[in-house]
Amino acid sequence: MFEIKRNENGTIGLHGRLDASQVDKARAVFNQVSESCEVDFAELSYISSAGLGLLFGTQKKLVDTGGGLTLINLSPHIREIFQIAGFDNIFEIA
Amino acid sequence: MTGVSAEFRREIDAIGEVFAFLETFAGAQEIDEKTAFCINLVVEELFTNMVRHNEGGGDRISVSVERRDNRVHLELVDTDVEPFDPETAEVPPVESGIENRRPGGLGIYLVRKMVDDLNYDYETDARRMRISVTKTLEN
Repeated sequence: MFEIKRNENGTIGLHGRLDASQVDKARAVFNQVSESCEVDFAELSYISSAGLGLLFGTQKKLVDTGGGLTLINLSPHIREIFQIAGFDNIFEIA
Repeated sequence: MTGVSAEFRREIDAIGEVFAFLETFAGAQEIDEKTAFCINLVVEELFTNMVRHNEGGGDRISVSVERRDNRVHLELVDTDVEPFDPETAEVPPVESGIENRRPGGLGIYLVRKMVDDLNYDYETDARRMRISVTKTLEN
């Protein structure tokens, strides 16, 4: 199960498991992002390369216009995946 | 018995059924949370890779998982497909900044980094691909 919500303050909240079968649901929200914002991982328990690819594409788009995503509340397991992927060089991880 | 096996539809949407299968195994074998996370990710990456790159293959992909002492052995078998050795997959430049990175290529890389070993075998006559990995339990 995966849910994604954009809060009134612009933060994107991820909930559940972001796997290859759910990434289109996330893409519909990230495609609407046009300026810097936070992505809250507090309720996200799992992510695979499908979700990483979506975040990468969004970041690439924002960096080109001087912005970027800030990722917050990553679990230790997910943080390790980001480190292995070298995404700690690409995203601001708070 | 410490090993189980099942076949799944060759569709990305079948990944939820694969996870349910792995969750049952992890619960029965008391696999720690970090190892279970790793097993899920490794199987998803290999399974989705087979679905995407073996179009026209058999309509089922087999997944087997077995605990041997402090290690988990995983095997995925795909039939009626062309050979694709994951060891030949391009390694993404993970040390680079975003300007030198491209989307894609991360799945097999993550698998390689998260398991102890990865073995690939292809039977030409049967057109059958077998990928197996071993992962030592984290706790």
